[in-house]
Amino acid sequence: MSYLLQTNHLTKIIGGKELVSDVNIHLRKGEIYGFLGPNGAGKTSVMKMLTNLWKPTEGAIELFGETLQKDSYEVLKRMGSIIEFPVFYERMSGRENLQLHCEYMGYYEKGCVEKALELLSLSDAANKPVKKYSLGMKQRLGIARAVLSRPELLILDEPANGLDPSGMKQIRELFKMLCKEYGITLMISTHILSEIESIADTVGVISRGKLLEEISMKEIRERNLAYIELSVENTRKTAYILTEQLGFGNFKIMDERNIRIYEEGAVTGKITNALAMHGVEVNAIGKKTETLEDYFLKMTEEGEAYA
Amino acid sequence: MLKLIRLEWKKNRIGKDVRNAVILALCLGFFVYSVEFFGITDEIPEANSIGISAFIELLTNMSFIVFCGAMLASYIVGAYKNKTMNLMFSYPIKRQKILLSKMLAVWIFNYAALILTKLAVYGVILIGSRRKEFVYTIDFRMETPGFYIGLAISSAVMVSICFAALFVGLMMKSSKAVIIASVLLMFVTQGSIGDLTLSNSGGLFAVLLLISFVCVVLSLCTVEKRDML
Repeated sequence: MSYLLQTNHLTKIIGGKELVSDVNIHLRKGEIYGFLGPNGAGKTSVMKMLTNLWKPTEGAIELFGETLQKDSYEVLKRMGSIIEFPVFYERMSGRENLQLHCEYMGYYEKGCVEKALELLSLSDAANKPVKKYSLGMKQRLGIARAVLSRPELLILDEPANGLDPSGMKQIRELFKMLCKEYGITLMISTHILSEIESIADTVGVISRGKLLEEISMKEIRERNLAYIELSVENTRKTAYILTEQLGFGNFKIMDERNIRIYEEGAVTGKITNALAMHGVEVNAIGKKTETLEDYFLKMTEEGEAYA
Repeated sequence: MLKLIRLEWKKNRIGKDVRNAVILALCLGFFVYSVEFFGITDEIPEANSIGISAFIELLTNMSFIVFCGAMLASYIVGAYKNKTMNLMFSYPIKRQKILLSKMLAVWIFNYAALILTKLAVYGVILIGSRRKEFVYTIDFRMETPGFYIGLAISSAVMVSICFAALFVGLMMKSSKAVIIASVLLMFVTQGSIGDLTLSNSGGLFAVLLLISFVCVVLSLCTVEKRDML
C-alpha cells in the first residue's frame, strides 16, 4: 500500500540520548492521524523531523512518494504545520502575518487571507498586532496560517492548546471539514484524547521515543475496548482464580477492589460462578467499553500523568 | 534574493532602523560640528596639525560597528531565540538562502547608512568651514572621485568585519554576545593606547575581513545541518 507519509526506522539521537527510536509511521491520504503520547514521549521530535526542522540521525522519511533528502524543499510547499506553538511576528497584525506567509510560500490566490481569517473567526481581530492576541487567538491564527495555502498534508502539534471548549469544537469541525471537503491529510498530536477519539481515523501511540502501536479507530473499537469490570473484596484471590481456574491472562488489577478483564470471550456468568464457588464475594460485575483514553493509558502506563 | 531581503526589512520594521540611523547621524554631525565650533579641542596643542577626516571616520565607524552588531543580533540571533527562524525554515526555501538574505539585509542597510552618515557629516563640516575657521585641518576634498571611492571601500570594510561578531553570537546563541563582540571589534579597530592605534593598519583590517568572510561561510555551511531547538 502506498502512503502519503511514511517513516522507516526513524531515529533521532541528541547528546547521546535517543529521543526517537526506530519509529515507523504510516499515513494514508485523506485520513486524520492521531499521534498520541505523554509529555516527552517524542511526538514533537518526530514532527520536527517531518517538517525538516531536525535531521534524522538514522532512518528515512517518505513524503508524497519521495524520500526526504537534505535539500528537499519543494515538499514543504505541500505541507502546513504548527510545531510546539505557533510563532508570529508579534508587532505585525494577524493579516500581515498571513500575507507574509503567502509571500514566502509563493502562494497568491486572491482572497485566501480573508477566507482563512473568516474560517477561524478572526476577521474582527485581523488588524490587531499579534502581541495583543490571546493564547487561543494565536492558536487559531496558527491554524489559519497552516491551512492558508491549501496544503495536502497538515502536521499539527497540540493544536487545541489554549482553546476554550467552544474553540476546540470549532477546530474539530474545521479539521473534519478540511479532511472531507478539501481532501487534506492531517497528522495531529495531542494529549486531549477525547478530541482525537471523535475525529481520528488512525492512531499512533508513542512512548519513550518508541511507537508502541499504530491502529485504526475502527480496530480499536472492535478489538480492545470491551472489558468486564469486576469489583471484589479480595483481588489477590480473584486474580488467582481467573488465572488458574478460568485460564485468563489478559486482565489488570486496577486497585484494591477492582479488576478489569480484557480476555476475549469472557462471560460474566461464568466468572461469577467460579468466584462464588471459591468463596470470593463479588460486589459488582458488568461489561464496559473502554474509551480511547483508557486504552492509551493502558498502552503507555502513564496513568498518573493524566489523572 | 531581493524579495527575501525586502521581506526581511518589512518583518523587522526597517522604518525603526531608518529612524535610529537618522538620529545617530544627526547626533554625530552635531557632535563633530560642536567639537569644531565650540573649540573643545583648543587645549590640544597639536590640534591644528590633525586632519578632521580621521576624527569623522573614527566616530562614524565606531558608532556603526555597534549599530550593525545590534541589527545582526536582532535580525539573526534574535530570530533563533524567538523561534521565528523555525518558521522561516519550514518554508520551501533553502536555509542558506534565508540566512544569506538576513545577512544581506543588515549589510546593505548599514553600508548605505554609514555612507550617507559620513557624507552628511563631511558635508556639514565642509559648509561650516566656509563660515568659520575650525580647529582641525580640513583634509578632505569632496569634489574628487577618490574621496567617494575611499568612502565606499572603507565603509564596506567596516560593515563587513561586523559579521565576525555575528558568528560569535550564533555560536553562543546570544544576542548580547554579538553586541559585546561588536564593541570589542570597535576597540580593536578604532581604539588607541597613547600613540599606538591600529585604525590605520591595513594588515589588521585585511585579517579581520578574512576572519569575517570565514565566519560568514561557516555560518552558511552549518545552517543546513543544524537542528532547530
